[in-house]
Amino acid sequence: MTQVTLRVDDVMGEIERDVRARLRLHLIKRGGAADYQDEEIFDAVHALLARAVDERNLDATLLPELLDSDVEWRLRTHLELTTHRPAVGRFILFVKRKMLLPMTRWLFEYSQENFRRQDHLNRVLFACIEELALENARLRRDLQSTEPASAGKPA
Amino acid sequence: MKLACVIHRYGADIAGGSEGHCRLIAEHLAAEHEVTILTTCAKDHITWRNHYPAGETRAGSLRVLRFPVARERELHRFMDLSDLVFADRATAEDQEQWFRENGPDAPDLLEHLRRHGTEYDRVLFWSYRYAGAYFGLPLVADRAVLVPTAEEDPLIHVDALSRFFSLPKGFLFLTPEEETLVGARAPAGRASAVIGCGLDPSPAPADLSRLDALRLADPFILYLGRIDPNKGCQALIRNFLRYVEGGEGVTLVMAGPSSMPIPEHPLIRPLGYVDDAVREALLANARALVMPSPFESLSMVLLEAWNRGLPALVNARCKVLRGQVERADGGLYYGNTVEFVAALDYLLHHPDAARQLGQQGLAYVDREYRWPTVMSKIDALLAQM
Repeated sequence: MTQVTLRVDDVMGEIERDVRARLRLHLIKRGGAADYQDEEIFDAVHALLARAVDERNLDATLLPELLDSDVEWRLRTHLELTTHRPAVGRFILFVKRKMLLPMTRWLFEYSQENFRRQDHLNRVLFACIEELALENARLRRDLQSTEPASAGKPA
Repeated sequence: MKLACVIHRYGADIAGGSEGHCRLIAEHLAAEHEVTILTTCAKDHITWRNHYPAGETRAGSLRVLRFPVARERELHRFMDLSDLVFADRATAEDQEQWFRENGPDAPDLLEHLRRHGTEYDRVLFWSYRYAGAYFGLPLVADRAVLVPTAEEDPLIHVDALSRFFSLPKGFLFLTPEEETLVGARAPAGRASAVIGCGLDPSPAPADLSRLDALRLADPFILYLGRIDPNKGCQALIRNFLRYVEGGEGVTLVMAGPSSMPIPEHPLIRPLGYVDDAVREALLANARALVMPSPFESLSMVLLEAWNRGLPALVNARCKVLRGQVERADGGLYYGNTVEFVAALDYLLHHPDAARQLGQQGLAYVDREYRWPTVMSKIDALLAQM
């Protein structure tokens, strides 16, 4: 007799449902949003945030593009050594690169890792905001398409 | 045909994924073709320090030409440049410079391609991210086949690659996910095939006495490979510790060279590098293989585990790993700690289901990854170009 295939999707569906249920109860117990008493609302919020975290390309979101024309806002995780002195500049850079930097590299690398984490978190938050904005835009479009043509016009 | 295989490091004692892939494919190609390996003298993938003597040697039926590395990698400069390039703030020159800094810088290898490239019918390049492929492929583009070994990391999106990916006459991809990732940037209609890698059926039952010496008791789950934060090992340890907080008595065995501290814990067993016999015994006796890496272009270890009928638990944030598990119906995946705990719990407490997932993985390897299947795809592509 041929064995029926055990589908990963089915098992994962079961596991993910169970995980969501436990997460919801955990948040309610810890005083999370009252709306989470409603399972449907929790699932909708979970799905939206999971979409932002798991499915969005964090390197291609709109908000950073809009901010780019504004003040410098990005976390700078790399180190740039420069000088404004034309004559002794080369010497100053040499001292910074060959003497100062090796001595302080441990501190730079320690803070660099934390900057990287913050940078990642920022990008996740950008994606979450964008996902909310997208959903809002879709809902507006759907709402407008269901409104009668005369709606909103003065009698 | 007269074929050249260009790879940044070469040797039976080199553990890297793309290097191992190149070696296996080249050895199988040599059964039908005249194959030359073009590589560097480097062994260490961090510094690219020269280790092997330059010049010509034989490795079985393969001719190996090694070229010296002109300068070692300057890690700090490379990391600073990486930050700039990965944050999409690099100029075209910075991007070119990134490939130069990544190395290995072997000018004689490029000169060989420039002078003798046309003597080969096809030149196969492994790993687009290394200097040999990035600067070498354009020199013989009319006969070049690229095995990109691409992962969904920030590098894949840099502008410099648009031109580069338009150059090869053919592509050999490791997975359908990689085909989608790179294929979208290659000209339409370019010859390509998804090959993965070939495996022989696993040898007779593993020698389990090798585990007695290690005093490994059932049950244990297995991580096999380089123990490195970039491979997701820190997150794996965090997730595993959360799981055993619940009182479960399973051990995490980590077999492979380590480049990070591993916490001392009675349920975590780092073994360091293990030989093939121990590796087989571990695969034969573990309850599941865990693959926490967020970036993979194939994962040979996953295929080896399925070859032994072992179910897998993989990081869902890696599209390739999740795709492989879904196509094979050969394991489970997780996107966060809570899912890791739940999925591992399922595998450990549903032994029949876990066994079936492992057997389905084995059936998938039988369907897709046996050598005759893989080599017939490669030969068809080489003939088609």
